[in-house]
Amino acid sequence: MPDHLVLLVEDNEVNRDMLVRRLQRAGHRVATAGDGEAAIAAMKTERPSVVLMDMNLPIKDGWTACQEAKSDTDICAIPIIALTAHAMEEDRQRALNAGCCDYATKPVDFPELLKKIAAQLDETH
Amino acid sequence: MKPTEAVTQLRPRLSLRGRLYLFSGAILILFAINVGTSLWGSFARNESSLAYKEAVSAAQLTAELEQNLQNKRQQILVLATLRETTEEPLDAAALEQARTDFEIISERLRQLGGFGGEELEPYYRRLHDSATALLDEWNQFYENYNDATTSSDVESALSYNKTKQHLRELDQRQSFVAVQRAEAIDRTITLTDQITVIGFISSIAITLALVFAMIRSTNASLTRMKQGVERFGSGDLTYRIDARRDAGEIGDLARTFNDMSTKLQSAIEETNSARADADSANAAKSMFLANVSHELRTPLNAIIGYSEMLQDELGDGIDIDREQFHHDLATIIFSGKQLLTLINDILDLSKIETGKMQVTREVFNPAGLLVQICDALSPLLTQNNNRLVLDIDKDSMRDFNSDRGKLQQIVTNLFSNACKFTKDGDITVSASMTSNTLVVAVTDTGIGMTQAQQERVFDAFTQAESNTGLKYGGTGLGLAIVREFCTMLGGDINLESQPDEGSVFRITLPADPVSIPADA
Repeated sequence: MPDHLVLLVEDNEVNRDMLVRRLQRAGHRVATAGDGEAAIAAMKTERPSVVLMDMNLPIKDGWTACQEAKSDTDICAIPIIALTAHAMEEDRQRALNAGCCDYATKPVDFPELLKKIAAQLDETH
Repeated sequence: MKPTEAVTQLRPRLSLRGRLYLFSGAILILFAINVGTSLWGSFARNESSLAYKEAVSAAQLTAELEQNLQNKRQQILVLATLRETTEEPLDAAALEQARTDFEIISERLRQLGGFGGEELEPYYRRLHDSATALLDEWNQFYENYNDATTSSDVESALSYNKTKQHLRELDQRQSFVAVQRAEAIDRTITLTDQITVIGFISSIAITLALVFAMIRSTNASLTRMKQGVERFGSGDLTYRIDARRDAGEIGDLARTFNDMSTKLQSAIEETNSARADADSANAAKSMFLANVSHELRTPLNAIIGYSEMLQDELGDGIDIDREQFHHDLATIIFSGKQLLTLINDILDLSKIETGKMQVTREVFNPAGLLVQICDALSPLLTQNNNRLVLDIDKDSMRDFNSDRGKLQQIVTNLFSNACKFTKDGDITVSASMTSNTLVVAVTDTGIGMTQAQQERVFDAFTQAESNTGLKYGGTGLGLAIVREFCTMLGGDINLESQPDEGSVFRITLPADPVSIPADA
């Protein structure tokens, strides 16, 4: 098994299952969270190498969770890739402003997403 | 003083025309006063000159008269001596000469009577009496000269001296009166001269004051006007020129400017509000587009993602888990259908917004339609293990004239919402009719909504929570369409809900087609 872990934060079960399966097929170890608060908790306990974060999340939305993660010294080093159906230019900026290091839109261009994950892993290792 | 000043301040200034009339009138009055004083002065001077001439004439006359009397007296004294010493008679020529002399004296005496007024009258009367007596005496002397029998006491100086005395008195009196008159006239001349000078100086002063006052008041009015117009020009259209402070043309002008400003202000406000409307409509359009993009991408993510995944799985030659494969395909189909619903909803909403959605009325039985809908949606009902309660007041039901398709969509949307948000609960569809309304209520025992959620739930692309669509499905357009349809059918929708207890959506539609709005 690969030593790095991808944390997928996604509240929609259908999309979550699909991405988990595809990421696993691509050789990643995957953990999941269904909302922003669970995501912060998982980042602390699971210590993922990279986080794929949906933005429209229950309890605590992706932008808030991202900002919190970046201001928490314990987990601020973990790179977060925004994964959202908000595809306007200002949405990209909003995600980057919240502290995301990269941005991918839905529907997911999977090979592109894998490249972005690889790029973040290369940077941190 | 203070209240008076306040009143003066508030009283409007004269109109410009009024000011000019007042100014001209004042100048004319001053001019007339000056002319009058000047005329009075020249009249007094004239009087003075006349009085002087009169005094000189009177003095001259008096002197001449005295000289005449003295000459005659000398003559008579000589004649009287001659008469006594010689017997020579007086010839006719001498007599005639004497008469002429007497007449001259009488004439001068009369002329002297013409000078002076009542004040000199007694002096003149006395002179006249004594002179007449003297002349009579002298006349007598001449008449009786040749008559030797008569004696004469003409040498006696009594009458002559008396007359002379009276003449001197008259002369003195005349001088005195003339001096008095001259003094009075001099005083008048001095007075009129003073009045003329003072009048002239004060006329200049008053004229200057009037000119200054007029310039100042007119300037103040025009300055107020200018300041007002400048304020308007700088965009302060709420400013008002104080039109009460000016009457007439300037006040009218101020009011006209104020009216202009009011109209300009309302025109600008209209333009601004039109622009704000256009801006907000534009912003709403952009927001709508962003929402549409977001909503379309969500089901597409599943469709594309699962399809690619299945393709990958088919390609890697590992045995296929048929059950898993079937489930994945079902997900793709479900997402595709959701996408279709979304597109239809967007089209419906767009049609409603552009006014292209038509109401097609027909007569139908609502009870039958409701049963049909519930039957058709039973798979949705069983998905979350819900129970249907149909509570249709069949006795009250009668044929109903409305848009069947729209009522179907309304109830379908409400029913599927109820199914989505309720687990292991009851969905109640109740209906009843009065003579003019149909009331349909869809009640669930699901998750319910807070007050804040209830307020937003009918807005397009809004769901109770931002993730509701992904968790429970739906597009966030269903209730917006339901509300629009209810309005188009001339009816209304209301919502009662409690979190964790459930929701009641109740629609009220008019059974009478007349009450459906004509433009719907």
